[in-house]
Amino acid sequence: MIKNKKGALEFSFTWIFAIIAGMFILFLAIYGVAKFMNIERASQDAKTAMSIGVLTNPLESSFETTKRSMIGLPVETRIYTGCKNLSGFFGEQTIKVSQKTYNEWSTEGVNVSFPNKYIFSENPAEGKNFYLFSKPFELPFKVGDLIYLTSTKDKYCFKNAPNNIKKEIENLIGINPSANENFFTKDFDCPEGSINICFSGGNSLGNDCDIKVNVNSGYVEKDDKKMYYEGDALMYAAIFSNKNDYECQLDRLMKRTGQLSDIYRDKSTFVFEKTGCYSGLDSRLVLLKNNAENLGNSENLNTIYSLAEDIARENDYGVCRLW
Amino acid sequence: MVNKSAQMKNKKIFQLPNKKNGQGMKSKISPASPFAKKAQMKIQQMSFMLLGVFLFFALVGMIIITVKFSGLKQDATDLRDRNAMLLASKLANSPEFSCGEAYGNQKTDCIDEDKVMALKENIGKYENVGKNTNFWGASNIEIRRIYPKYENKTCTSTNYPNCDTIILIDKPISGFDHSNFVALCRKEKYKRYESDSIADAKAKKDDVINICEMGRVIVWYEEVK
Repeated sequence: MIKNKKGALEFSFTWIFAIIAGMFILFLAIYGVAKFMNIERASQDAKTAMSIGVLTNPLESSFETTKRSMIGLPVETRIYTGCKNLSGFFGEQTIKVSQKTYNEWSTEGVNVSFPNKYIFSENPAEGKNFYLFSKPFELPFKVGDLIYLTSTKDKYCFKNAPNNIKKEIENLIGINPSANENFFTKDFDCPEGSINICFSGGNSLGNDCDIKVNVNSGYVEKDDKKMYYEGDALMYAAIFSNKNDYECQLDRLMKRTGQLSDIYRDKSTFVFEKTGCYSGLDSRLVLLKNNAENLGNSENLNTIYSLAEDIARENDYGVCRLW
Repeated sequence: MVNKSAQMKNKKIFQLPNKKNGQGMKSKISPASPFAKKAQMKIQQMSFMLLGVFLFFALVGMIIITVKFSGLKQDATDLRDRNAMLLASKLANSPEFSCGEAYGNQKTDCIDEDKVMALKENIGKYENVGKNTNFWGASNIEIRRIYPKYENKTCTSTNYPNCDTIILIDKPISGFDHSNFVALCRKEKYKRYESDSIADAKAKKDDVINICEMGRVIVWYEEVK
């Protein structure tokens, strides 16, 4: 009886072969689809990162002081902005994104590089809608536009801000603030859980400050680290980014300052040879280039700024303006 | 007899199902027997079929991947196109090109020709900073004077300003382009021409004057291949 029943479990070789081959084909198909999905996700992430960079082109300012625009993405996205100061001559701004699909974050996509951009943001900035605003950075000529990226999810409360900053933020907000608004200048407007940015002229600040701005000494204190600034453009940069990125971007900006100094010096010589009109800035531009390229870190900014102010004065009242 | 001895030498055992009872049965079958030939035939059929199925799916997969990747290249080209378009509209505001206040008040879409000529001399550092792109993310940038036309020559430091086209990067221009109208400004020594109106006579001979003319900035990009 038992001997006879044993046959019921036996398979023919054809069946075994078909099952093994079928399994192999199925495995290959599933593996291929999974790989393909990963590639598709990565390409989507790269496309989004590239689009973000491309969309910042209109933020290049001419004589306007501040510009703001909003980027809306179809799904929840984390934007990682990075800074590389050693690649190429001017360093690179990198952007990569990770998107939420089926309630799961994709692995961080590939880095897309932009040598001519300077983006300051939380790392990562997470959300579906992002505000971008830009300010020109001048030393004393325009060096570049600094772009500040914030998620509409992160609410920023500017407490005790100086009048010029307050006015600027209010201009960005506009008369009718949108539902997505993430900048607030009045204490009573600030939603719960907002990031408190406290301004002071050396006075002691409350305990509820996430970011402290000392306007007299010219530094921003964030995560117990000090970032020194000169001018509003760098102040916002320090507020919205972190110490490492800030110092790295500053280094990139100084490299561009050095290069622009060379261009202006060459222009000065060129115009003098052509017209006899001399700017008288050649030697100071060389000094500016040297100082910029050997800045070190933000703590030494004030030395280069006093030189830049002298150059600006000379250029403004000179016969032959260079910029 | 022959079968039996061959069976002894070859100790291969084939299992065949008992069709009648639906139960397997152990039996020794010679490879030359009709059963063995039938089984071999079936295996061959099956392997050909599987090979066919496998090749079919591989082919379908390859077609899908090819279509997808050609779409990816198209997407990359579209992004370059969009970048070039936005860049052309804003390049004049870039510090390396903008007039600033060198020619009076701040002007929008104004390119400082003198500065661009100085940039041309220093272009090395702005070239090839990315993968096949320059600092601005385009493959080349050209500035062309539209009016008045001079000798339709490419500008060099020797023939400037009596020329019409400044090509920033010294490599053959290929691909597609986007352009934007701009003002091209430069400083010049005033030369009085007979055609100059009385209003122009505010400047004396050899005075340094600002000249702004009409031009076009062209941004080139290459298709992703």
